[in-house]
Amino acid sequence: MSNRRPRRAAVTGIGVIAPNGLRSDAYWKSVREGLTVLDLIGREGCGHLPLRVAGEVRSFDPAALIEDRFLVQTDRFSHFAMAAAALALDDAGLGGEPAEPFSVGVVTAAGSGGGEFGQRELQKLWGQGSKFVGPYQSIAWFYAASTGQISIRGGLKGPCGVVASDEAGGLDSLAHASRAVQRGTEVMVVGAAEAPLAPYSMVCQLGYPELSTLDDPDRAYRPFTEKACGFVPAEGGALLVVEDEERARERGVPVRATVAGHAATFTGASRWAESREGLARAIRGALDEADCAPEEIDVVFADAMGVMEADHAEALAIADVFGGRGTRVPVTAPKTGIGRAYCAAPVLDTVAAVLAMEHGLIPPTPNVFDICHDLDLVMSQARPAELRTALVLSRGLMGSNAALVVRRGDESAR
Amino acid sequence: MITTEVTFEELSALMKQAAGITVDPRELKEAAESPFDSFGLDSLGLLGIVGELENRYGQSLPPDSERCKTPREFLNLVNSTLTAGA
Amino acid sequence: MTRRVAVTGIGVVAPGGIGATAFWDLLAAGRTATRGITLFDPAGLRSRIAAECDFDPYEHGLDAELCRHADRYIQFAVVAAGEAVRDSGLDTAAVDPWRTAVSLGSAVGGTTRLESDYVRVSEHGRRWDVDHRKAEPKLHLAFSPSTLASVVAEQFDARGPVQTVSTGCTSGLDAVGYAFHTIAEGRADVCIAGASDSPISPITMACFDAIKATSPNNDDPEHASRPFDAHRDGFVMGEGAAVLVLEEYEHARARGAEIHCEISGYATYGNAYHMTGLTSEGLEMARAIDTTLEQARIDPTLIDYVNAHGSGTRQNDRHETAAVKRSLGAHAHDTPMSSIKSMVGHSLGAIGAIEVVACVLALKHQVVPPTANYETPDPECDLDYVPRTARPRTLTNVLSVGSGFGGFQSAVLLTGTGGRTR
Repeated sequence: MSNRRPRRAAVTGIGVIAPNGLRSDAYWKSVREGLTVLDLIGREGCGHLPLRVAGEVRSFDPAALIEDRFLVQTDRFSHFAMAAAALALDDAGLGGEPAEPFSVGVVTAAGSGGGEFGQRELQKLWGQGSKFVGPYQSIAWFYAASTGQISIRGGLKGPCGVVASDEAGGLDSLAHASRAVQRGTEVMVVGAAEAPLAPYSMVCQLGYPELSTLDDPDRAYRPFTEKACGFVPAEGGALLVVEDEERARERGVPVRATVAGHAATFTGASRWAESREGLARAIRGALDEADCAPEEIDVVFADAMGVMEADHAEALAIADVFGGRGTRVPVTAPKTGIGRAYCAAPVLDTVAAVLAMEHGLIPPTPNVFDICHDLDLVMSQARPAELRTALVLSRGLMGSNAALVVRRGDESAR
Repeated sequence: MITTEVTFEELSALMKQAAGITVDPRELKEAAESPFDSFGLDSLGLLGIVGELENRYGQSLPPDSERCKTPREFLNLVNSTLTAGA
Repeated sequence: MTRRVAVTGIGVVAPGGIGATAFWDLLAAGRTATRGITLFDPAGLRSRIAAECDFDPYEHGLDAELCRHADRYIQFAVVAAGEAVRDSGLDTAAVDPWRTAVSLGSAVGGTTRLESDYVRVSEHGRRWDVDHRKAEPKLHLAFSPSTLASVVAEQFDARGPVQTVSTGCTSGLDAVGYAFHTIAEGRADVCIAGASDSPISPITMACFDAIKATSPNNDDPEHASRPFDAHRDGFVMGEGAAVLVLEEYEHARARGAEIHCEISGYATYGNAYHMTGLTSEGLEMARAIDTTLEQARIDPTLIDYVNAHGSGTRQNDRHETAAVKRSLGAHAHDTPMSSIKSMVGHSLGAIGAIEVVACVLALKHQVVPPTANYETPDPECDLDYVPRTARPRTLTNVLSVGSGFGGFQSAVLLTGTGGRTR
């Protein structure tokens, strides 16, 4: 081995397809201003369901971004992922087929799969007969569809993976990609996109005890308040390009951030009180891996489940790790303006964290005004601050907890 | 029972519907000996077209249909099968 | 940090063989477990055959809640994990739960349950605006495959990194591979790793019908799965689960555990070619094999057995044969390569883990399982496919390979005890 220092994963490209903005600049503008786009669900066949409010991606025209031959064979969740991956690769200056295909891999997280496509094919099967099921059902519904299609569309032959580990899987995918870079892959396209707002997919979610069924978009998702009544689902997501930091610097592209540390734990589905310890351990693990003291964390992007017991556990976990500073470290949850896009939620938060560090601005937590936990939650408007290091937290409905530490691009040279 | 043959127009429309491939029917006819690959149609796309035709005409097509390499070969096989079955 | 990764426990729920002993008996005898589908009425389908598990959750001591409400694929996984943990002798109360991980794969997760509830809420496919009031309770547990790892983690009190891997038909190999990385790189000391799928349902059978990937040999199901044989006509659907207890080598040694073998390498690549198609060159699978061997610092000539993906589709068998020849060179012709899918079918995401367990057992017994039903050689597949009869052989380094929809190409290397030099 050379005496080169350990490889580090740098974020060099970002692609966003979110309810509050397509492309990262539009997303950041909405996040910075605390815009909320939560609204009554307008998708066909959903109006009668007791899940009323969600974050829909409404301005997305897949045909403008993806070739027809890919559109017919993929579900909306892959449309989002393919579009976001292309944006991220362009942003990183890596558009076009790579010169060394094995040096670029893909990993996505997926929690809900191609539900809309699947419902259409189920309808053909049960309504008309098995001969009416089309050839693309075999490749559109399953959770690996987006990774496969991104790999094929871009000619990317590096390590390809899919984690389906709950919402926190979004952070796990970023860790997975960073580790692939540390092991020697030059570039990874990584992230998650979800499309859980088809009628049958929504029926499947109704059993989650944490789901908000309020029909007032301004009140449906208000974590950390006494009025917390669950979370609101969303669709969309984000893909990032992470690559070996030295390679990025050699090819002269800006290192927007580095993925410094990650850890994950498990404390059981809906056992929110126990997630306190799980989350605290995940945070400590991520800080350890990043060789980062708690005092270095300048902002926390909270999981913000919107369930009283879960919010309380998260506030306590932050206090457990940060000690007396737990009530002073700025905390934010921009996802209250767009909802939780399952595995994509923490990836969108990671994008927000990178952009916040670049702009020196902590975005606010829309719709949240009076909190009942001892946290310095950034509300109402964005707060200027020197941000060198950010912590992103995520928990899943099935019991996973994860934490990710990201550092500002110019901080990693230290 | 069918009274008309599957035409290049119908095949062109099917390629669009089943595989997202846009090709003008006249071009398809002129290049009828070119491989399906050259239009961007892959094996799954052709399988989709075969399935659609089978459902449309209520008749099975031979297993060789999805192995046809060119539009001409495919239409010849499909039309001879459908005509024979009619 | 690179730590050695030991296999200390195995468990399996396979067609024709529930439990490692029954499973190995089936493989060693070269018996096939493929038959006409009984799990639902397959009338109207092109392929009406499958390898099914005769599985009764109540017989395996699952609690009432799991028996009543858990999806079949989750029941399989819990039973296989229970066997693996017992086999490892691990006292889960004595290990640090925060250092115990779970990595389980599934290609299609809860789709069987999703389909049966869909039929109710849609009134047999009549309504797009489905009626939620007709759904069964706990349907949400079928929505995301993360339920798989979550339920198993709760059963065995694992509190470290818990993940569900879903890379289609390589999910099982990749779940073992991710677990290998998790332990080798120090994020856990123990990992419950494997995969499960129960895909024998109308929608999954119909979607493979639509692409004619499954065998239509409904008249002779016992002989329908014919990997590498000139007369093969597609794969036969299967179901099942396999789970391994992977453990950091010194951790296993310190508690005096019996070490079955080691996982000594893993790699995966995408072929970036086609969602279902494979090239005839096998370049990307060869790359996965090469990287796996480089990691383990093992020369290709030291491979004693290749457990093939061997699905029994023409393109797979040729692709894979080319890949193995590319990586192993002339040694490929001296290396037995067999497909157990000939006996237990292709259980999508689960099969990779079932095949890894078959490799553990092959090492233990020093016997290569055969390719059942192999009779007529295909001129383009010219390796030694171990026709019909199991073969005693000295085995130290055993490779399991897989490929799947989406272009995934994966390889896992297992090394018998005493076979590793450092």
